[in-house]
Amino acid sequence: MPFSRSWGQAHGRAKTTSIFRSEIMSLVQLYIPSDVARFTVAQLGELGLIQFRDLNGEVSAFQRSFVNDVRRFDEIERKLRYLRSQIERNDVDIYDFLNEDFVRASRGPRDIDDMEEKINAHENRVLKLTAAYKNLQLKHLELLENKHVLQEVSSLFSEIAGRQQTANAQGAGRSSAGGSLSGGQDNVPLLGRTDSLSRHSIGSLDAARAGDVGFDVEAGGPVIGHDINVGFITGVISRDRISTLERVLWRSLRGNMFLNYVDIEEPINDPKLDEPVYKSAFIVFAHGESLRDRATKITEALGATLYHVDSNAERRQEELIETMSRLDDLQQILENNNAARINELTSVSEQINTWFTVVRKEKAIYHMLNLFNYDANRNCLIAEGWCATNDIPAIQSALYLATEDAGSNVPTVLQELRTTKEPPTFVRTNKFTDGFQNIVDAYGVPKAGEVNPGLFTCITFPFLFALMFGDLGHGFLMTLCAALLCIYEKKLVWLAKDESLRMFYTGRYIILLMGIFSMFTGFLYNDIFSRALGIFSSGWTWPTDKGGEGVTVEATKLNHTYPIGIDPAWHHAGNSLLFTNSYKMKMSIVLGVIHMTLGICLQVPNALYFKKRINILHVFIPQIIFLFSIFGYLLFAIIFKWCTDWYARDASGELTHISPPSLLNMLIYMFLSPGSVNESEKMFRGQAVLQTFLLLLALVCVPWMLLVKPLILRREHQKIISEGYGRISSHVRVSSEGDDIGGAIVVAEQEEMEEDDFDFADIMINQTIHTIEFCLNSISNTASYLRLWALSLAHAQLSEVLWTMTFLPTLKMSGSFQPVAIMGGFAVWFVLTFSILIGMEGLSAFLHALRLHWVEFNNKFYDGTGVKFEPFSFKAILDEVEE
Amino acid sequence: MKEIYFNADAGYLEGVVRGYRDGLITKPQYSNLTQCETMDDLKLQLATTDYAPFLQNEPSPISTSTLSARCTDALVAEFQYLQQNSAEPISKFLEYITYGYMIDNVVLLITGTLHERDTHDLLEKCHPLGFFDTMPALCVATTVQDLYNTVMVDSPLAGYFRECLSAEDLNELNIEIIRNTLYKAYLEDFYNYCMACGEPTASIMSEILNFESDRRTVNITINSFGTELSKDDRSKLYPRLGNMYPEAQTRLARVDDMDQVKAILEQYSEYKTMLLGVNLNASSGGVGGNELSLEDRFFIKEVDLNKEAFEQQFHLGVFYAWLRLKEQEIRNIVWVAECISQQQKDKINNYTPIY
Repeated sequence: MPFSRSWGQAHGRAKTTSIFRSEIMSLVQLYIPSDVARFTVAQLGELGLIQFRDLNGEVSAFQRSFVNDVRRFDEIERKLRYLRSQIERNDVDIYDFLNEDFVRASRGPRDIDDMEEKINAHENRVLKLTAAYKNLQLKHLELLENKHVLQEVSSLFSEIAGRQQTANAQGAGRSSAGGSLSGGQDNVPLLGRTDSLSRHSIGSLDAARAGDVGFDVEAGGPVIGHDINVGFITGVISRDRISTLERVLWRSLRGNMFLNYVDIEEPINDPKLDEPVYKSAFIVFAHGESLRDRATKITEALGATLYHVDSNAERRQEELIETMSRLDDLQQILENNNAARINELTSVSEQINTWFTVVRKEKAIYHMLNLFNYDANRNCLIAEGWCATNDIPAIQSALYLATEDAGSNVPTVLQELRTTKEPPTFVRTNKFTDGFQNIVDAYGVPKAGEVNPGLFTCITFPFLFALMFGDLGHGFLMTLCAALLCIYEKKLVWLAKDESLRMFYTGRYIILLMGIFSMFTGFLYNDIFSRALGIFSSGWTWPTDKGGEGVTVEATKLNHTYPIGIDPAWHHAGNSLLFTNSYKMKMSIVLGVIHMTLGICLQVPNALYFKKRINILHVFIPQIIFLFSIFGYLLFAIIFKWCTDWYARDASGELTHISPPSLLNMLIYMFLSPGSVNESEKMFRGQAVLQTFLLLLALVCVPWMLLVKPLILRREHQKIISEGYGRISSHVRVSSEGDDIGGAIVVAEQEEMEEDDFDFADIMINQTIHTIEFCLNSISNTASYLRLWALSLAHAQLSEVLWTMTFLPTLKMSGSFQPVAIMGGFAVWFVLTFSILIGMEGLSAFLHALRLHWVEFNNKFYDGTGVKFEPFSFKAILDEVEE
Repeated sequence: MKEIYFNADAGYLEGVVRGYRDGLITKPQYSNLTQCETMDDLKLQLATTDYAPFLQNEPSPISTSTLSARCTDALVAEFQYLQQNSAEPISKFLEYITYGYMIDNVVLLITGTLHERDTHDLLEKCHPLGFFDTMPALCVATTVQDLYNTVMVDSPLAGYFRECLSAEDLNELNIEIIRNTLYKAYLEDFYNYCMACGEPTASIMSEILNFESDRRTVNITINSFGTELSKDDRSKLYPRLGNMYPEAQTRLARVDDMDQVKAILEQYSEYKTMLLGVNLNASSGGVGGNELSLEDRFFIKEVDLNKEAFEQQFHLGVFYAWLRLKEQEIRNIVWVAECISQQQKDKINNYTPIY
């Protein structure tokens, strides 16, 4: 097939496993006999190397073949969830134990049936026990409330009796007058008493009559008032409802009632709500049968439970004793029942993790099986999926294992397909490269076969970061933290579950490298917590005879240079900023241009891989020439300037060179006045000619980039048209002819070829944009690398400020407070160093390094239009559920 | 100027409610629902919607009534979340929305008591959004006066109740009158409140509430055919707002059959298109096919109006509109569920799609 480049059959191409490029992928087709299907998918799930394609895209979710199995496991999972909620509610510990044998792939359908049966049995038992427990609790609640009501009513009656005696003493004969309805004065003692006993009552039945009732009751007379028909109802209601009850009763009975209530101290466990509720016992006196009925109806509607209380004190006492004894019995039964339930739940808790895992795996298996094509005639399933070509042997051995598990002798057949489909991108990472690859993937997943910037990011990222974060001390602390994370990574897995800490945990190797590189750059910058480090002898010496406060002295140069890094003598020099700024600025440009050059050069392997020679000849070459003729020359000038001793004198003491030229002006005048260089700024002979030549070269590159590629493409297209060829728009794939299943199962699939409409205007516009972008970007991107200088300057200055403001003053103190001050000063300094300089500055440097990679580096060569390979793997599925 | 500060109070809630709106079931999802063969299929399909957490712990097979109850739970949970996070003026607005449900609950309880139903069953049937704490005591009321004095007087509905006090005792007709009088007073009060909120809430809500009152007017008219309700009393029940107030209302008060109602409605351009091809005698759901009842047409129109409310920002109407849309969605789901459980697949498409 000359028109389609095969992804799958990479014959003659090295099948490398590196992260330079993504894995070479194969589209494989599996013919799975249906009795082996479950085992096969289970094995593949354990392996986690194949991503299945949905072959039933047009079938809705519930019309697929295995939807009943999915539903079955949904149901089991629901039961497990119920069991787990019961376990949690009863504070039973869940064992963190997995039955490996069972969780492993080879469990058969019978094992699953057994498991389901066990779960069902457990669920039934727990349901029954819980129902019984609830029932008992209800009874318990009833008795408990009854007890409270009895107690409260008794105390209420005795209280009224007590009041009655006082009332009798106060105004004898008033009550015998027939319970006058206007016994207003008598309210006073009742209310007074009520308040003093912190009881609450509401009502307008005059106290005298209430007193009558009390009296009669206590005297063992008629149940209800002797001449007026006053009765009472008692019950229990939740405490927040009591005021509503009062209000409604008051209004509804038009005030002909008397309500008294007492808060029950301890909360009562209401089995209906399954939570403790605070309740109150109340008693309502009402006049007449119909009013009492009304009151009963209202109290019941408002959710109160009514209890009958006898008005006879002795009988009440009997009832109370009986209730208490029944309560004790019930308590015993409740405890037994609870023990049995806990027992049952404990036995479940040993298994529940295993069951959950198995059920989730099984559900995942059937979800996968639903993606497969079912061939009813041959009783086999046809699956299609992507996998790395390198992994095919592993998959085949898994298929073999699955056949063995099932005890079948019909093997699963694996066949590679030729396809023009774009495969998903599989970059095989390890725990070290994973973090760096994530940085790249966040920008864009590499297209299959494309050069993966992840490889370079592993080093360039921490390096660029370190240039901005250069400090030996800060780098050391960072390395220390990251090293702890890396050494104890197994113990610290829990960090990954916390959303904010996950970033640090998954990026631990990035942080480690960033720390190590920062130590390196810090060593070069000669910065340790903003102090200098004099390991070698300095190349400068300070005069010792002069000096003092406010006197400027000049260091004299010795005849050796500091072997590596910046001379510590610069650290306290008045012009140290001038020196480091110039040095770091130039260094940023140099490294930036090198970094971008690497990016441009990576177009070459891409072009070679995709066999697009045109991209090398007419994209890569003009781009690199353009960049080098301007910024390559700048690089040359920078290094030339560094290598020259501008203050060298000849034998007669004359300066051999002009004063150092400004490179910025040089670059600007290279454009403004081509062909001439000011004598005072001339660095070498022939500079003017060279500059003119380079400028012309750069100018030539612009139309080259702009026009050549589109024109060539157009010519080729016209050639094809004139030769009479067209494009085939789709093809039908015929597969599995002549394999051992025999016959021809035709899996026809319309495959859209990439529409190859040639539109010259489109290409031209694209190319114009591209060219303008490249030319402008070469300037702006180079300038963008200056952030390396800016951030490193900011970092150094900030740490210097922190040192001089917080710690240094304490060292200069004198007196006996100094040790304490030093301790305090150090604490402040260290906390701020860690939080601001390492934490926040680190984050900002990280972001800037990220930008330099995403924008300045990646846009030179990287498409990032791939789709990530997401293999079917139990591990991933279980991890997802955990979260 | 109001727009500048709107987000300080309502920005979060508006974002939430728009998120809820995006969670509404869309046409492709409905077509998936209608293809279901059993209630289990339906449950499986609903597992991809916002209802999933409320349905996942229900044992299969699920009944239509549980489904409806769980869906309402979902609605209530979302609404209560809004209420809990609201401050003035939204909290007041949301409270106004609940008054409508209170009226329904009150009427439900009174009717139930009249027919001597068990109070606890009745309380369970009440809409959770319309709960107020003295509500259960309604079951003892036997006269209107009683009703007001015992229960309604300190409920938020007290003000609306004043007009009902003329009725003497509770019978079917009077209950209907009470319902409509209450609702009329509620609508007018809510309308005034919305007007006081200022633009753009006022214009959006007035459109929705005008429609609502028109719908009530038509329904009152139709339902009063063949009852003892006098024509004067009928006109007293009409809310004093809406597109048809006052001219068409005075005429509607005098009509005797459906054709006259239709003739009056057709004079309004909004309703003329709505009436095209409507089967005036069909009840909701219709007999299948394209024949939709007047009620269904009203639902469609209501959905359109509520959807329009989302086109504009910085107003409170979205909360009301969302609740209405969600209610319609639950009606749709229950309709589909009923069709599935009663094997009436030919009528299954008679729901009112929203998005």
